Amino acid sequence: MNKKIILVLIVLGISLLAFVGYKNFIVPKAVEGEKEVTIHIINDKENMDKTFTYNTDGEYLIDLLEEKKDELGITFQDFDFGKMIVAMLGYTVDESNNEYFHIYVNGEDATTGVGEIPLMDKDTYTFELKTY
Amino acid sequence: MKARDVVLIGILSASITAGKLALSFVPNVEIVTLLFIVYTVTFGYKRTLLASLIFTTTEIFLYGFATWLLGYYFIWPLLIIITEVLNKRFKSEYAYAILGASFGYAFGIFFAVVESFFYGVAYGWAYWIRGLVFDLVHGTSNFIMILFLFNPLKNLLGKLKKNYYNMES
Repeated sequence: MNKKIILVLIVLGISLLAFVGYKNFIVPKAVEGEKEVTIHIINDKENMDKTFTYNTDGEYLIDLLEEKKDELGITFQDFDFGKMIVAMLGYTVDESNNEYFHIYVNGEDATTGVGEIPLMDKDTYTFELKTY
Repeated sequence: MKARDVVLIGILSASITAGKLALSFVPNVEIVTLLFIVYTVTFGYKRTLLASLIFTTTEIFLYGFATWLLGYYFIWPLLIIITEVLNKRFKSEYAYAILGASFGYAFGIFFAVVESFFYGVAYGWAYWIRGLVFDLVHGTSNFIMILFLFNPLKNLLGKLKKNYYNMES
C-alpha cells in the first residue's frame, strides 16, 4: 500500500483514540436520575441575591436552565462555542461595561460552559454578575 | 516593492479568504494553513506575511471585530516564519504535513491563552477544553491535506510564478 495512505490511516487511528480518550476522561460525565440542586443568583448591582432549589432529571446544567428559563428570567445568546447566559432574573448584562455572569460550581470557578456542566445531586451552581 | 508584487499579494490574500469561505461549512477543516505554507515556500515569507495581514484585516470586515481576530495577527505570521525556517532545511512534504498538524492541534491552546488575557484563566481553560475535538479535526485534516496537496500546489505555483515574473524561480 502507498506509504502516504498508511501514514494517513495511522494518524486517523491515533486521532480516533484521542477522541475516545477525550470523551471518556476529559468531558465531565452526567448522571441520570433525579437530583436536588441549588441555583444561586447574585447581582449586587441590583441588590439581588436569590436561591432556588430544584429537583431535576436533567443531565446538564443547560437542561435545567432551559426548563426554568421563564422562572429564572434567563436569556441565552448563541455563540459558535455554545450558549451563553446574557440575562438572569430579568437583568441583562451591560456589554459596554464588560458585564457577564460568572459561574461557580460549589464555590469553585466553572471550567466549562453551562452546556458541559453535569448536574450532580446536592450541588450548588452560582451565577454572579461580574465585570472582566 | 514592484507593482507586480503588490498585485500578487492582493491575489494571494484574496485566494486565502476565498479558500477559507469555500470550506467554512466544514467545522475546522480549512485550506488556509496549506496555502500559507505553500505561498511561503513559493513566493517567500515577505510577500506571504503581507498577504496574511491583509487576510486578517479582511476577516474583520467580514465578521466584525472579535478578540480571536487579534490572535490571527500573530498566529499566521508565526506559521509563515516557522515555514521559512523549515524551508531552509527540509523540502519534503512530510515536514510541512507535521508542521500543519502540530499547528492545528495547538490552535485552540494558543487562542485560549489570548482569550485568558481578556476574560480570565477559567474562561481560557473552558475555551480550550471545549474546543479539543475541533483541534483534533483541525490538526488531522491539515496533515492529510498538506501531505497530498503540498507538492502538486507547489509545482503548479512554481510554474505560474515563473510566467508571472518572466524569470526562473
